[in-house]
Amino acid sequence: MLKHFKHRFALLILLLMIGTILAACNKDDDKELSDPNESTSTDVSETDDGEEDASVDSGPKDGGTIVGAMYSAPAGMFNPIFYEEAYEANILDFTHEGLVTQNEKLEFISSLAEKWEVNDDQTEITFFLKEGVKWHDGEDFTADDVVYTYQAMSDPEYENAGGVRVNYVAPLLGYEAYQSGETDVFEGVVADGDYKVTFKFAEPNVSPLYYASFPIIPEHIFSSISVKDIPEAAESKDPGKVIGTGPFKFTDMIEREQYILERNEDYWQGAPHLDSIVWKVVAQSVMIGLLEKGEIDFVASPGGIAPADHDIVADFGNIEIIEQADFGYQLMGFKLNHRTTADVESGALNPDNWVPNKKLSDPKVRQAIAHAVNRQGLVGSGHGEGLLHGRGQPINSPIAQQMWAYDESSATAYEYDPDKAGQILDDLGYVDVTGDGFREDPEGKEWILNFDYPTGNELRERSAPILQSDLENVGIKVNLRQPAEMSVYVPGLTDDNTDWDLYLIGWSLSSTDPDPAGLWATKAGYNFSRWNSPTSEELMQKAVKAPDAFDQDYRSKVYAEWQKHFSEELPALLLYAQNSLWAYNDRIQGIKILPHSMYQDAHEWWVEDAE
Amino acid sequence: MRTVNEKENQLDELQIETRRKHRSPFQLSLRRFLKNKLAIAGMIVLIIIIGSAVFAPLLTDHDPKAHNLLKVEQKPSKEHILGTDSSGRDNFSRLLYGARVSLTIGISTMVFTVLLGMIFGTLSGYYGGKIDSIIMRITDLFLALPFLVLALTIIALLKKVTIGLFVVIIAVTSWPTLSRIIRGTFLSLREQEFVLGARAIGASDFRIIFRHFLPNAIGPIIVNATLLMAAMIIVESGLSFIGMGIPQPTPTWGNMISEAQGLRILRYHPEAWIPPGLAILLTVLSINFIGDGLRDAFDPKSDRR
Amino acid sequence: MYQYIIRRILQFIPMLLALSIIVFGLAKAAPGDPFSGKILDPEVGMEVYEKQRAELGLDKPIPVQYLRWAGKIVQGSFGESITYKGRSVESLIKERFLNTVYLGLFALFITLLVAIPIGIYSARHPYSLLDYGSTTFGFFGLAVPNFFFGLVVIYLFSIKLGWFPAQGTLSSNKLTGFAEFQDRIHHMILPGLTLGLASTASYMRYMRSEVMDVLGSDFIRTAKAKGMSNNNVLYKHTLRNALIPVITLLGMELGPLLGGAIITEQVFNFPGIGTLFIGSVINRDYPVVMAITLLLGVAILVGNLLADIFYSVVDPRIRYD
Repeated sequence: MLKHFKHRFALLILLLMIGTILAACNKDDDKELSDPNESTSTDVSETDDGEEDASVDSGPKDGGTIVGAMYSAPAGMFNPIFYEEAYEANILDFTHEGLVTQNEKLEFISSLAEKWEVNDDQTEITFFLKEGVKWHDGEDFTADDVVYTYQAMSDPEYENAGGVRVNYVAPLLGYEAYQSGETDVFEGVVADGDYKVTFKFAEPNVSPLYYASFPIIPEHIFSSISVKDIPEAAESKDPGKVIGTGPFKFTDMIEREQYILERNEDYWQGAPHLDSIVWKVVAQSVMIGLLEKGEIDFVASPGGIAPADHDIVADFGNIEIIEQADFGYQLMGFKLNHRTTADVESGALNPDNWVPNKKLSDPKVRQAIAHAVNRQGLVGSGHGEGLLHGRGQPINSPIAQQMWAYDESSATAYEYDPDKAGQILDDLGYVDVTGDGFREDPEGKEWILNFDYPTGNELRERSAPILQSDLENVGIKVNLRQPAEMSVYVPGLTDDNTDWDLYLIGWSLSSTDPDPAGLWATKAGYNFSRWNSPTSEELMQKAVKAPDAFDQDYRSKVYAEWQKHFSEELPALLLYAQNSLWAYNDRIQGIKILPHSMYQDAHEWWVEDAE
Repeated sequence: MRTVNEKENQLDELQIETRRKHRSPFQLSLRRFLKNKLAIAGMIVLIIIIGSAVFAPLLTDHDPKAHNLLKVEQKPSKEHILGTDSSGRDNFSRLLYGARVSLTIGISTMVFTVLLGMIFGTLSGYYGGKIDSIIMRITDLFLALPFLVLALTIIALLKKVTIGLFVVIIAVTSWPTLSRIIRGTFLSLREQEFVLGARAIGASDFRIIFRHFLPNAIGPIIVNATLLMAAMIIVESGLSFIGMGIPQPTPTWGNMISEAQGLRILRYHPEAWIPPGLAILLTVLSINFIGDGLRDAFDPKSDRR
Repeated sequence: MYQYIIRRILQFIPMLLALSIIVFGLAKAAPGDPFSGKILDPEVGMEVYEKQRAELGLDKPIPVQYLRWAGKIVQGSFGESITYKGRSVESLIKERFLNTVYLGLFALFITLLVAIPIGIYSARHPYSLLDYGSTTFGFFGLAVPNFFFGLVVIYLFSIKLGWFPAQGTLSSNKLTGFAEFQDRIHHMILPGLTLGLASTASYMRYMRSEVMDVLGSDFIRTAKAKGMSNNNVLYKHTLRNALIPVITLLGMELGPLLGGAIITEQVFNFPGIGTLFIGSVINRDYPVVMAITLLLGVAILVGNLLADIFYSVVDPRIRYD
């Protein structure tokens, strides 16, 4: 009996081991990469000079196909005025163009418009369009197309049909009358002949070029379709029927898998070198393997490469990594005020009715919390450290770092100093009277901060328990709640008639204008902290008030003041700005890296191995 | 108890045969169970796993929830024998403490589900008629709403997913499978002679169910229960994968494995996923062997083979 | 028996009603709406979505919304998707449904092909090498999460060995006819294996246990005693009886298959119902969520009904009253 038993058991163990080995046999190679101490070659990636390498001595060649990766399929709306997702933008960036675009300093430069003139009080801007630009179907691009695009976005049916880009048209002259249907006359954008078009604003406008930067859609295609039917129209969705002026045409797709862009032979800046660009939808978890294998040639925003994967990808040898600061940041917000239930129900954002959140209303408390959080720790300083593995930085000002208005020096930097945090709280009377290790409020009552956070961003999700423990280290009791999906989280964040105290959210900022009012104005919907500061309000308005604000230096100064005020008041603690990590196979040449995009001038891309 | 050796087998059965008169059925089953070496091996492994979960604080000094941002995704070292995870938490202590959560989830959902499934399956399969009809329509409805749909919705409704709630959600959504299986077996038993006979001599429903029906259904029940337990540990990891499992920093085997969501961990950090994977496998295997042992031991027909 | 079938079919109507109410109720009970989870874009004000909410009638009382929805379904329309602007729910589902059905059938095919013979063999030769092997493999299959197994096979067979494509269903739109068919099968092998893994393991266990049970029962002994050959016993008596619980299981396989598909499809970026479903849940695209749940519910109800009817065919002892 015993013999049999032994036999069987040995067999069992053997089988178990085979199973394990089978599962494990895949990772015996490349072991050396896994040692973080050895991977020192991070600097390879910092540069973007790949295309100027000496190896490239012959000129660009025509032909070839490259493959880009995105992590989620576009919803399928390939019409600039109706699309909402960055994945659709991946295609539209190659097919459609605006009158102006941005250069590496984020200044607006000529694109479909050759030049422009602004009148003295900045209520009008007149564009002189490039001549000889053709739509993908061969028709001429004219001023009528510009007028049509803006008129469609002002249409009474536009929002009901699902359009959300109203901020581009709202400041135009006569927008409200046209949008409400009071009049059929659209005054905001007026054509004068085929190649001259004037934008008219209701008020003097500080950044008229921003409003004129929207991609243009063809009038001759859409004018026969009523605006409310545009989203359903084949011209907004089907390959071959989507018409733009860009260097590539959207010609084919396997829906949710592949999106194929082909060379526009008649492109006004010259025919592209590449035959085609194929976008493939791939799962993020396997992307780096496909990149290494060469099945994927490039990957960029949204997503890019995960910070933890950076060193591994850098070691592949055939991949260039572009690392630059992202336009955005993650923050831990403080609910300074709550709305009343009545206001939430009626949808009113009335600061007069707001109820201060006593737990956090003292700015000193917020400052203490800022000192308690190890933000540099979250970022880390290299591979194997922090959530970002060093691929980002803590920031102190809620304006994108690349912007002219960003002024780190004016803002207070709260360095990690738990002792100081404890000292501030002690001084304010937040001490532990019950002896449970956690502080009570100055009246001796229990002081627990509720902490809510959303799912959807893995790194942000992971930061929540870490932030909790940072705060608990200085004796602040934190009630970390269940993370919620965004569609559940945002209503909770908005309907703040509840018991929320701390929250996490991330913002991706525009690369065009630094005005922070959309996020931080008292009555802004996205002012989730319900920050109500007359000083802040005054500064933000001052910074966009004509005519002083026509001067960028003046605006810079005002924004510096505002950033200082923000960092003292601290409606939110800015945690970190993650670097964007884009990558491309070094066989692609001619990529132009801009702070906000690498897709500009894609007609100049070429591959060395082209036939 | 079976062996390849026919002679031994016969001898064995003979022995059981001769001793049977002196022992109660339970004692007999126990004896049979204890003779099943695989079951005993499974028992030992399970006890070791449960033991290491219970005595986790003695086996490691690390707090499974304590992060160390200076040591993220570290390779195994003396201090962290299985390295650290993406938040710099000690993998070994997460493995031990994770056993607590995963075993609790696995075992309690199994018990809960089997109980519900047995009650409804029995009522339905034994009584038939209207009761059967009603219960079956209810199970149909439950089955018609796929588990993930219900679970996702319920989880979205809740403020906080605790382990207890998690167990209830899973049990409430997965009992219909088992109850249908039990019903199926019972329906086929209802018309068999021995049942008719038992009825004829006036045996109570209770007696018929427990003496005649359940023992006949014990095979599928045990197989289903052990499979269920395995499935539940996996379900938890699947939910972690789509971001709806037991939230971090609570360690579970499932969310440990779901850390290996990318090729980086898969390739370069086998120490992060092999141990929890192996732990799940060993647990599931040993539970199954115990299950098989129990089945063989309690199944009234098993000793005839 | 016909009476029984007719009655079961009649019971379908209240069941459908109940199902539709539950589906609708669940969708409405979940917090959030299609606009609340939109990626927050500072360039797009929150107010923008208020109009769209009103346009969809989401501000109407729940019973009114239900009646509208149910009314449309009766007329054969599930409404329009919200995430996929300008697309009808039917067109979205139709496009993905076939992908999932093919994948599911493929997985099921692998499952049955492997599980039934091995299950029978294991039962007839318990504690043999193959029995141990299959048990271990079976539990290995059950103990490995879908997404993880998927990742491993992609790494091994696609990235390292390059045998199979890692993602998607088709390599090019230009393929037609047999080449297209071949390409699709080629794409389906890894996800099919992954999806079928867990169910293969459990079917194997069921088969083994059922066949063993039946082999030990009186009538088999009688049959053997009468001198029937082993194979004859196996196929005439054993299989028929052993298949009963397996059929039950098959009837219920649709739900778990979707569950598995949700995760498998994600790993392989396989554009099926599963990816559509989870995406719609996350975006709160109710018309799509409700339609999928309802259709799936109906499919499962029909599946169970068929299983029950099948029962009565393979096991005449079951009496229906």
